[in-house]
Amino acid sequence: MTLRLGRHRFDDDATLVMAIVNRTPDSFYDRGATWAEDRAFDRVAQVVDEGAEIVDIGGVKAAPGVEVDSVEERRRVVSFVERVRAAYPHLVISVDTWRADVGAAVCEAGADVLNDAWGGADPGLVDVAAKHDVAIVCTHTGGVTPRTRPHRIAYDDVMADVLRATLGYADRALVAGVARESVVIDPAHDFGKNTFHSLEVTRRLGEMVATGFPVLVSLSNKDFVGETLGVPLEDRLTGTLAATAVSAMAGARIYRVHEVVPTRQTLDMVASIAGRRPPARAIRGIA
Amino acid sequence: MTRVVVVPSPPGLLPELAGLEDPLAEARAAALDACRWLAAEQAPVVVLGADDLALRVGRHLLSTTHTGPVDAVRLPDVPSLDHLDALLVVADGSARRGEKAPGHLDERAAAYDEGIGRALASGDAAALAALDADLGAELLAAGVPALSVMGSLFEGRSVAAETTYADDPFGVAYWVTRWTVTREVA
Repeated sequence: MTLRLGRHRFDDDATLVMAIVNRTPDSFYDRGATWAEDRAFDRVAQVVDEGAEIVDIGGVKAAPGVEVDSVEERRRVVSFVERVRAAYPHLVISVDTWRADVGAAVCEAGADVLNDAWGGADPGLVDVAAKHDVAIVCTHTGGVTPRTRPHRIAYDDVMADVLRATLGYADRALVAGVARESVVIDPAHDFGKNTFHSLEVTRRLGEMVATGFPVLVSLSNKDFVGETLGVPLEDRLTGTLAATAVSAMAGARIYRVHEVVPTRQTLDMVASIAGRRPPARAIRGIA
Repeated sequence: MTRVVVVPSPPGLLPELAGLEDPLAEARAAALDACRWLAAEQAPVVVLGADDLALRVGRHLLSTTHTGPVDAVRLPDVPSLDHLDALLVVADGSARRGEKAPGHLDERAAAYDEGIGRALASGDAAALAALDADLGAELLAAGVPALSVMGSLFEGRSVAAETTYADDPFGVAYWVTRWTVTREVA
């Protein structure tokens, strides 16, 4: 279906690359590489140049660690969003936060999407999204508290739980007044899930696509890839791209990633296999 | 007067085989210009081709340049000269012009195609009519049967000829040529 992310609209069959930009000293993959604001700004310039449609700016790492209160989180992201907004008026700016007060501040600063990785832990976030007419990402976390790891979580049917939770969250967003075309759902790989759960939601992603809500997947270099292939952090790109291709065949729309160019190539290849995109340039056998 | 246009027949000209970038842009532009010139006669256009592919390519080129009637003639049928005002011949030369050509290199291809190109550019219908069909087949020159018929149709007439495109960007010889042919035998 049509997708609107704040001030930006996208065609029904467009796939979008959301590049991760961390304003954190301790996130799992980049380990603080873009902690300094200028380094983060350079990262934005790079991913825009590589063709990312969206940047996802985060000020708090997902895993447990040093407490980051909302004052500190706002200090990390709000002025940075302002700076990116001013420099890139056509870029979609998403902010990875679960806190309503942070959400309100970044929307004032020009954000288009509130990417709530923690499944609606702060019930006021949907009201902020509605008030500012921005998109919201409704994730499944299995009910865990923000910044905790899953421990012995079990589901009778993990996809049924994902659908129940994300559609419930989507309903709360709609009731709060968020536009239907601005509600995105995300199974949240590794969040409240062991590796078997994440593999199953990937395998069954078509059930989320069938709801009609645009689906976001966040697969990039995650532990379920590492555990599946038995590879360390720096060797997870191949597995990430395989999961990306499977998700693209199922119809996911937004891909939250560290590596933009390989992701875009994977998505283009799948779109062409699926008959949704012509080859870049074809002459073999038809000259 | 009869207007005659020769254009090549690569499948890559068909819309269903288009990529985001057009590797045949130059040949396509020349072919479309020539088709517009043909359509300016405001007469029914006869498309002549040796096979279904050639006719599809011809019909597609005309679909964007010509709103009047189009009659397709597929060899071995031959168009009638009665009331023939506009003829589109969809034909190209050898596909064996180099190591990377679709049919690999045949050393005889260059000279053979050069003869076709010279006949088209100079309006030499007799030379087209006399093309060696067996050698053309060996050289994977799919357009030779149609070019021979074109030559036979206009042999003995006065021809004003202009070739606006001649190249082999992918190892197959393409020409875009316009002929203006008198009605009476010269």
